[in-house]
Amino acid sequence: MNFAFTAEQLGFAAAVRDVLRDRCDPSDRLSCWKELAELGLFGALVPEESGGLGLSLTDLVPAIEETGRAAMPGPVVETLVAGPYAGVVGAPRVSLLVDGLALDADLADLIVDVAGPSIVSVRLEPRRAVDQGRQPFAATVVDELRVLEAPAADLVRKATVGVSAQLIGVARELLARSVAYAKARTQFGRPIGAFQAVKHQLADVAIAVEFAAPLVYRAALSADNAALSADRAAYSADGKDTGAPVGLSRPDRDVSAAKVAAGEAAALAARTALQVHGAIGYTAELDLRFWLARTWSLSAAYGTTAEHRTRFRQAVFGS
Amino acid sequence: MDLDFTPAEQAFRAEVRDWLADHVPSRLPSMDTREGFEAHREWEALLAGARLSVVSWPEEHGGRAASPIEWLIFEEEYWASGAPARVSQNGIFLLAPTLFAFGTPAQQARFLGRMARAEDVWAQAWSEPEAGSDLAALTSRASRVDGGWLLHGRKTWSSRAAFASHGFGLFRTSDTRHHGLTYFLFPLEDVTVRPIAQLDGTHGFAELLFDGVFVPDDLVLGEPGQGWKIAMATTSSERGLTLRSPGRFLATAERLVALARDADPALRDRAARCLIDAEAYRLHTFGAVRGELGATTSMGKVFWSELDLRMHALAMDLLGPAAAETPWFDGYLFSLAGPIYAGTNEIQRNIIAERVLGLPR
Repeated sequence: MNFAFTAEQLGFAAAVRDVLRDRCDPSDRLSCWKELAELGLFGALVPEESGGLGLSLTDLVPAIEETGRAAMPGPVVETLVAGPYAGVVGAPRVSLLVDGLALDADLADLIVDVAGPSIVSVRLEPRRAVDQGRQPFAATVVDELRVLEAPAADLVRKATVGVSAQLIGVARELLARSVAYAKARTQFGRPIGAFQAVKHQLADVAIAVEFAAPLVYRAALSADNAALSADRAAYSADGKDTGAPVGLSRPDRDVSAAKVAAGEAAALAARTALQVHGAIGYTAELDLRFWLARTWSLSAAYGTTAEHRTRFRQAVFGS
Repeated sequence: MDLDFTPAEQAFRAEVRDWLADHVPSRLPSMDTREGFEAHREWEALLAGARLSVVSWPEEHGGRAASPIEWLIFEEEYWASGAPARVSQNGIFLLAPTLFAFGTPAQQARFLGRMARAEDVWAQAWSEPEAGSDLAALTSRASRVDGGWLLHGRKTWSSRAAFASHGFGLFRTSDTRHHGLTYFLFPLEDVTVRPIAQLDGTHGFAELLFDGVFVPDDLVLGEPGQGWKIAMATTSSERGLTLRSPGRFLATAERLVALARDADPALRDRAARCLIDAEAYRLHTFGAVRGELGATTSMGKVFWSELDLRMHALAMDLLGPAAAETPWFDGYLFSLAGPIYAGTNEIQRNIIAERVLGLPR
């Protein structure tokens, strides 16, 4: 048992972080896409024999966190998880069609209908976006172009883990920005971060993120293991889960736990960031708005926090 | 990254599980009564006989030199089996790490084995009426005499002290705030012990009155004046892994889920959410045991104490008036103390804000 990331996994994330820090503009929907494609990010899950990096989702979680930390726009997670099935290597972008909505479909080179799964051509109608970096479209399938050898559950599960990892990254950045602001902003002759009421709110955010992140790491492991052996009944070798799972399969339960915890941590980070920044945080004059918006859009993606809370409860209780 | 255990770890888990299944006593009386205290000591002596009372210790002192992962496995099985809280916990989890790090070989040989077998039960004597979480404000003094020291002053909130045989604590040996403290070990026989009734009426803690109690030099732990440094090493273990292992919260969450099985969906949602948090704490600990704990132990302390409170408050909601008849009520009372002891959660949040986040004091 080794519940820690390797130097290679962290190194890849650091490389992604360096690119994002230097070049990412959260208001430019294709920001950094080409540079990260050159690093191999978008083919990371594609097997090496098909020209990808042959990594697992677990390998990639720290790098995905970085895309959240940078509020990187565009269909990052969608391209990553659909890549291995659609044969995407390099710079192309993929959108996933789920429940009639396709995110960033106007930027996508191909659209995968998760219900198939298949590559489809669609008619698009833009919908109001809460987040300028994740533009949703109502999509009507016009034609099915190619059926994919992909379990739909695997696509959705990995996309959910991906956005959960991004939510962790978003929460970390919101916390970092709030801390920096609390050190710089003075009131009553002191930095506001010296006041215990402010300190305690920020400490609570740090705690929420600290304990949500390991659930996302486990969900990535579970999603990887489920893909390797979809019919394995009992998930882990921890000696406790030897019985058949109740309700949802164990991987789905782990994924829902991750989405709930990451969604709640990010929501707390966002709410606290706004409170700490005060009125200026409520305006469009600060970049903070990109991370606030990303919290809202990712929290709603692939099942809301509330939906996953219900799914987890059903997995535990059977109803 | 993986969550698979080695065959040796799985075999250890199976051995522990089987032994506990055969030996765990049915519910013992509260350890904070005379009768319960003796029953708990007997249970821990039985545990020690199977070399399961201090699995992480070296073999020469009664342990198995278990790795941190094995220790976590032991704790999961211990709490899942329904075994009782440890009457020796202050000695084993708070004093022993300090004895291993700072004690002389003679002190280790004299105390560790007896502690492992619950022959000596230790009480922590740190807090004072005017110094709770602020240890540097301690005023109890030790004055130098031939061959040792005389202890004067008053300590309070000393858990298990009503029935314990020994105590360990900090006394002021000079006036410099942090560098004037010395760490003493002492038998309780010459100390006046005044039990304090807790919310549940039992004497879980006591006040200790020192009126020139003589302590020989060989019961000073570490160097005189080094008490603060030594104590900080011990509070880190109190706030960290050792006091509240993930196995306990996981076992509570699983029992809570069983308790909530027929409840309405809103209550079941709360139980399920507690299970997510218990799993988070377990996973976080698996990640943390390999690295330095440092100030992240403060995050764990706030997290587990509030989770424990949330779980027991939910049990009260689920059980209603019947709660008082069940062990859940005792657990609820104990969980209320979680955010207070081992450094209040307010102090912990300050530590997180200042040392982890770098906010100004």
